[in-house]
Amino acid sequence: MTYAIEAHGLVKRYGDKAALAGIDLAAPPGSVLGVLGPNGAGKTTAVRILATLVSPDGGRAAVGGHDVVKAPAEVRKLIGLTGQYASVDEKLTGRQNLVMIGRLLGMGRTEARGRAAALLAEFGLEDAADRAAGSYSGGMRRRLDLAVSLVGRPSIVFMDEPTTGLDPRARADLWRIVREQVAGGATVLLTTQYLEEADQLADEIVLIDHGLVAARGTPRELKARAGDRRLEIRPEHDTEKAELILAEVTGLTPHRGENGLLSVPLLDSAVSPAVFRRLEEAGVALSEHAVRRPTLDEAFLALTDTTTSGRTR
Amino acid sequence: MTAIPSAGGRRGALAQGMTLAWRSLVPLRNEPGRLVQFLLQPIFMVVVFVLMFGAMSGDPEHAARYLMPGVLTQVALISTNTTGMNLAEDIVNGVFDRFRSMPIARSAPLVGRVTADALTTAVTILVALLAGIAAGFRITAAPLDALAGLALLLLFTLALSWVSAWLGLKAKSVASMQGTATAVLLPLTFGSSAFIPPDNLPGVLRWWSSVNPVSHLADAVRALLTGAPVGTHVWITLACAAAVTACFVPLAVRAYTRRIR
Repeated sequence: MTYAIEAHGLVKRYGDKAALAGIDLAAPPGSVLGVLGPNGAGKTTAVRILATLVSPDGGRAAVGGHDVVKAPAEVRKLIGLTGQYASVDEKLTGRQNLVMIGRLLGMGRTEARGRAAALLAEFGLEDAADRAAGSYSGGMRRRLDLAVSLVGRPSIVFMDEPTTGLDPRARADLWRIVREQVAGGATVLLTTQYLEEADQLADEIVLIDHGLVAARGTPRELKARAGDRRLEIRPEHDTEKAELILAEVTGLTPHRGENGLLSVPLLDSAVSPAVFRRLEEAGVALSEHAVRRPTLDEAFLALTDTTTSGRTR
Repeated sequence: MTAIPSAGGRRGALAQGMTLAWRSLVPLRNEPGRLVQFLLQPIFMVVVFVLMFGAMSGDPEHAARYLMPGVLTQVALISTNTTGMNLAEDIVNGVFDRFRSMPIARSAPLVGRVTADALTTAVTILVALLAGIAAGFRITAAPLDALAGLALLLLFTLALSWVSAWLGLKAKSVASMQGTATAVLLPLTFGSSAFIPPDNLPGVLRWWSSVNPVSHLADAVRALLTGAPVGTHVWITLACAAAVTACFVPLAVRAYTRRIR
């Protein structure tokens, strides 16, 4: 099987610091590969190598079957890049930005204008089309940035944190656009800090941290390993007693957080009423209780624990 | 494997450069307020140097003949600032990352920028010249000589805009680029024979003004516009422009291709 995006043992150093310490990536054509990780994990560096912007110090990578170092010109014909920081020309209008890219890609004037109009409509930017991009809201700018990266109908699209800093509605808009691209047959590599985003969009997730792959799998596999939800309780007194009850009912070791906050992975919804009943019987009053989805940090800890045991963060 | 026409081909590169020159000029149409810089600044320079400083001398007409070519030199060279500033801005904003990820000629963004700036510089020179004529300056040379003078000025400016490009590509921010460029341009332009003959200057200033290439440029432009003998100034200016171009075009191209964050 040939992969649309393939990387083996990528290494990139900036001074003493290894931004990437040897990662493997693979995305079959038409799939969405989610690269998940916190700030500084190496996500952007990986995208920049794959998009031919920087050369790796070690390992190799191929995009669309072309080596990113030996045949960057071939790679550039296939890809679209949406940066973490929307890289549109703020002094140009949305339409001018799109026309410019079309012309650079060799389209005639009429064709470039037509493509720009179609993308403006598709991305809901018609009303703002003739305003300078510098006046756009964050969400509009990201949409324009994405539209600009799609002018040449790339078969492989890199999106580096396309929704970081966006409000939930703008995020949902972008998710819809990503899904449409994939439905159109494109391969997408998406980096994100949000577990939920990777969950919503990716066929496969690679979790990276400190330049290394910490875990990989489908969203379902990873969530199962991360513990889907957590039950949290904060007893007013008797923290020890509550901890024992929690352990007994769930069969798991509760995590003890700040100010007596106890939490356990919630694998079965029937567990919480049982816990509350037992606590009430034992006379343990709760100042706080909640069922929470795992944060990236928690998922991260859970996932890194299973793959790189003994590593401390 | 099908042979896709190379996007970096020669004809493609030129067309891409022109598209990017268009992109650099279009903000002036979008926001005409930006034109003020190109129109008001040269007029202001003519008012200050030709009218005000001219009035200080006993013979305003004679002063205008000396000062006006200096003003043209000054406004043309200062305008090179924009090249590096805009390049620095493109890098900081990530616009260059987009260009570098596209199948376009490596040279296109630089060529586009420099071409657009050459055009705005030409407009700036023309505005200053018209303002100068309104202020009483007269071109007394043959039309072809005068044109040669303006062409020489534009050529030298073009050479200097590659220095500006190199500074812009090396700069960490737009502000630092602006600082460096000002530190380079002010001694070059004001410390020349553009406004005051070197003979009238004391010690070190006199030495600097006499070795400053811009002095040769200003003297050449002055001679070509007023019909005075040009001496060796034209050749020295051409040699300087050639040397600067030969050094800084490769430096700028290398800084551009190696610009990695």
